[in-house]
Amino acid sequence: MPGNIRSVCAVWAMLVCLVFCGKLTTVDAAPLCTNAQAGCHVLSLANLFDRVIQHSARMHGISNDLHSEFELYFLPSKNQIGRVSRNCHTSSILTPNGKENAQRMAREELTEVILKLLVAWRDPLWHFHQSMAHHHDFNNFSSNKSLEMSDMVHELRKGVQKVVEKMQMLGIISNSVSNLASPEALLASDSAEWRLMKDYDLLYCFRRDSNKVQNYLKILKCRIVPEHGC
Amino acid sequence: IMYSLPLCHCLSAPLEPHFTECISREQETFRCWWSPGSYHNLSSPGALRVFYLKKDSPTSEWKECPEYIHSNRECFFDVNHTSVWIPYCMQLRGENVTYFNEDDCFTVENIVRPDPPVSLSWTLLNISPSGLSYDVMVNWEPPPSADVDAGWMRIEYEIQYRERNTTNWEALEMQPHTQQTIYGLHIGKDYEVHIRCRMVAFTKFGEFSDSIFIEVTEIPTKESTIPFTLVLVLGIVGILILIMLIVITQQHRLMMVLLPPVPAPKIKGIDSELLKKGKLDELNFILTGGGMGGLPTYAPDFYQDEPWVEFIEVDGEDGDSGEREDNRASDTQRLLGLPHPVSHHMNMGCSNAISFPDDDSGRASCYNPDLPEQDTLMLMATLLPGQPEEEEASFDVEERAPASSERSLVQAQTGGPQTWVNTDFYAQVSNVMPSGGVVLSPGQQLRIQESTSATEEETQKGKEDEDSKETEEQKQKELQFQLLVVDPEGSGYTTESNVRQISTPPSSGEGYQTIHPQPVETKPAATMEDNQSPYILPDSPQSQFFSPVADYTVVQELDSHHSLLLNPPPNQSPPPCLPQHPLKAPMPVGYITPDLLGNLSP
Repeated sequence: MPGNIRSVCAVWAMLVCLVFCGKLTTVDAAPLCTNAQAGCHVLSLANLFDRVIQHSARMHGISNDLHSEFELYFLPSKNQIGRVSRNCHTSSILTPNGKENAQRMAREELTEVILKLLVAWRDPLWHFHQSMAHHHDFNNFSSNKSLEMSDMVHELRKGVQKVVEKMQMLGIISNSVSNLASPEALLASDSAEWRLMKDYDLLYCFRRDSNKVQNYLKILKCRIVPEHGC
Repeated sequence: IMYSLPLCHCLSAPLEPHFTECISREQETFRCWWSPGSYHNLSSPGALRVFYLKKDSPTSEWKECPEYIHSNRECFFDVNHTSVWIPYCMQLRGENVTYFNEDDCFTVENIVRPDPPVSLSWTLLNISPSGLSYDVMVNWEPPPSADVDAGWMRIEYEIQYRERNTTNWEALEMQPHTQQTIYGLHIGKDYEVHIRCRMVAFTKFGEFSDSIFIEVTEIPTKESTIPFTLVLVLGIVGILILIMLIVITQQHRLMMVLLPPVPAPKIKGIDSELLKKGKLDELNFILTGGGMGGLPTYAPDFYQDEPWVEFIEVDGEDGDSGEREDNRASDTQRLLGLPHPVSHHMNMGCSNAISFPDDDSGRASCYNPDLPEQDTLMLMATLLPGQPEEEEASFDVEERAPASSERSLVQAQTGGPQTWVNTDFYAQVSNVMPSGGVVLSPGQQLRIQESTSATEEETQKGKEDEDSKETEEQKQKELQFQLLVVDPEGSGYTTESNVRQISTPPSSGEGYQTIHPQPVETKPAATMEDNQSPYILPDSPQSQFFSPVADYTVVQELDSHHSLLLNPPPNQSPPPCLPQHPLKAPMPVGYITPDLLGNLSP
C-alpha cells in the first residue's frame, strides 16, 4: 500500500508539475515587448491605431456630410459657423485646443479625453437618429448616415478602449486611465444638456468633436508608434 | 453697436469696412485681412482697429489684434493666440463705430487653406502598345508648413492637368497620398500639371502649386520591331523547312510546284527533239540556214585569247573517254597514217607546256571555267539534251570529231605560234600544196596526202551536205583525209565553237584570204556560237608559204570597218591562259556576223 500511494503521489506531483510548468512557460512565452523591440506586438498596436484612426476619419467624414446637408436647409454660413446659440454639451470636457497643447498633454490624459468625447456622444447621436427617422424631413440618405454615425461612435469607443488596454498591457501608459466600465458616470450631470440642443447645433458640435477625436488619435499614434505612415 | 445685415451687399448702400478673409495655413496660426470698403477716409493705418472675441469661456471679452501688419491691412494671430475648435469672432472698430458681421465668426479648423504641395515631379510609367498614349506617375511632397508627420493635419490632394495653351483643366479624384497616376496622355502633346490640397473632410482648398510640364515625344521602341522580325524569321525558317522536307521526301509533284525546273530556252527554229540521236540531219539543215533563216550567230565574247573553242559532248563522255582515246588513236592513225600517236590534247590556247597533259584530265587544264556565259551554256545545253554540264565536257577541246559538222578543218595557216596541239581529231592545215596535199600543223607537214582541190571539194561538200556526213567519213577514211574530224561512232552531234584564228596581215593576202565576218549561210561552220569558217575559199589554195605562220590568231578587236584585227602572231609563247572576265575581253574570237558586232563592246 505505501508503494501504491507513493506511486500515485508521484504521478500526481508530476501532473501538477506539468500543469505549472506549462503555465509558467506560457507566461514566459508571452514576451513583453517594448517599443525598441522589433516585430513584437508593436506592429499590432500600430495596426490597431490605424484601424481606429481610419474609423474616426470616416466618422468625421459622415458628420461633415450630414452637417453640410443640414446647412442646405438653413442659411449657409461663410465659415460654417452657423448660429451656435449655445455651447456644445461637451464643452465641459477640457480638450487641448492646439497642436502643442495636444502634444504636451500626457498620453493618459489625451486618451481619457478621447474616451470622454466618444462616450459623451453615444446617446445624443442615438436620439438624433431616432428623431431623424421620425421626422421624415430628410431623405433616406441622411437617415442612413445618422444611423451609421451613431453606430460608428459606438464602435469607435470600443476600439479606442482596446487600444488603451493594449497600451496599458505594453506598459506604454499607466493604468491611471479611469475605469471605463461605466463611462456614463462621467457624464451623469451633463446627460440632460444635449437634449436641449437642436439638431443642427448637435450636428455642428459633433462635427467639431469628431474632428477633435481624429486629431487626438493621430497625435497619439504618431507619438507612440511613429512608423507606418505618420 | 451697429452691425450690418449679413447678406445684403446692395450697391446702393455704401460698403462698410469689413474683413475680406481670414485664413490659416497650418492650423496653428491664422491671419485676417480687412478692407475699409468705400470709406476711404478710414483707409489710413490706425483708423480702423481689429478686435476679436474668443469664445472659450462664457466670460470672454473682446481683445485687440495681437499683431498688426498695416501694410497689408492684416491681423496676424500667432500660435499663442490661436486655438482650434474654439469660435472666434472678428470686429472692426473705428472712432466711435463698430463694424461687426456674424459671418466673421469661425473656428480655426474651418478656415484652414493649406499651402500648395512642393517638389512636383513626374516619371513615365509606360507607353501604350499603339505608341500613341502613355501613363505618368506624378510625385510631390506635402507642404512643409503643414505638420503632417505629427498627424496634426490630414491632407488630401487634387491634381489638375491640361494641354498647354488650352483653358480647361482636367481634375483627378482627390486622394490623400503623395503620388498619383495620370492615365492616357497623348504622345507628342505638351501637358501642364499643378496640384492643390485641402484638409480631409473640409471644404477650403489651398493655392495651386507651380505648374510642371510633361511632354513625351515619340520613342522608337524596338518592341514593335522585335515581334515583326521574329515573325519574319520564323516564317522564312518554316518555309525553308517545308521545302527541305519536300525535297527530301522526293515528292516530285510538290517539287514541281515549289521548285519548278527552269525551262530551257527555246531557240527559234530549233526543236530540242532534233538534238537527239539520229536527227542530226535536220538539225544540220536548220543550222545551215535552210530552215527559217538560220540561227543567229552568237559572239562568244568570252572567248578571249583562246584560239580554240569549247565543245559539248552529246553524251556522257565519261564512258566514252576510253573510246575517245581509242578513237583518237585510231583517227589520228587513220588520218595521219601514224602509228599509235601520242595522245595529245587539244590546246585551249594555253602554252604548249600546259597543253601536253599526260592524261585525260589534263584536257581541262587550260580553260577558264568562268568563261562560258549563261546563255551560251544554255544554248549548248539545249542542243545537247541530257548533257551534263560539266565544264570539262563543255569546254574541252572536243576530241571527237564533230559529227558531220562542217568542221572540215581547212584552214589557211599563216604561221605563227602553234596554238593547236595536234590531237587525233583535229589537225591544223598549215598549208595546202598545189598538188593538193595538205600541209598540216608543224610536225605534220609531211603528211600530205591529198590534193587541195579534193580537199576543198570534200570540205565544201561537208559543209553543205549534212547527209553526207557518213559519206564524208567514208571518204575521208578512204582518202585518208586528215581534215575532216569525224565522230566515227556517230554517237551524236557535237557542237563546237571553233575559234579560228585567221591572221590577216594585209600584206600577205596572197596565200589566203582575209575572212571577213559573213553571215552564217556562207559559212558552213555552223555552230551556234560563232560561225567559224574554217574554210578557206578555194581562191587561195596555192599558198606557198612554208614559213611558220600562226595557226590561230586571236581576233583582238574590230576596227571601224568591222574587220577583224588580229594580233600579230607572237612568235614567242602563246598567249597565256588568263582567266579574264569574259565580258571584259577585248573581242570575241572568231567569226562574227555584222549584226552581232553591235553587241560587242570594244
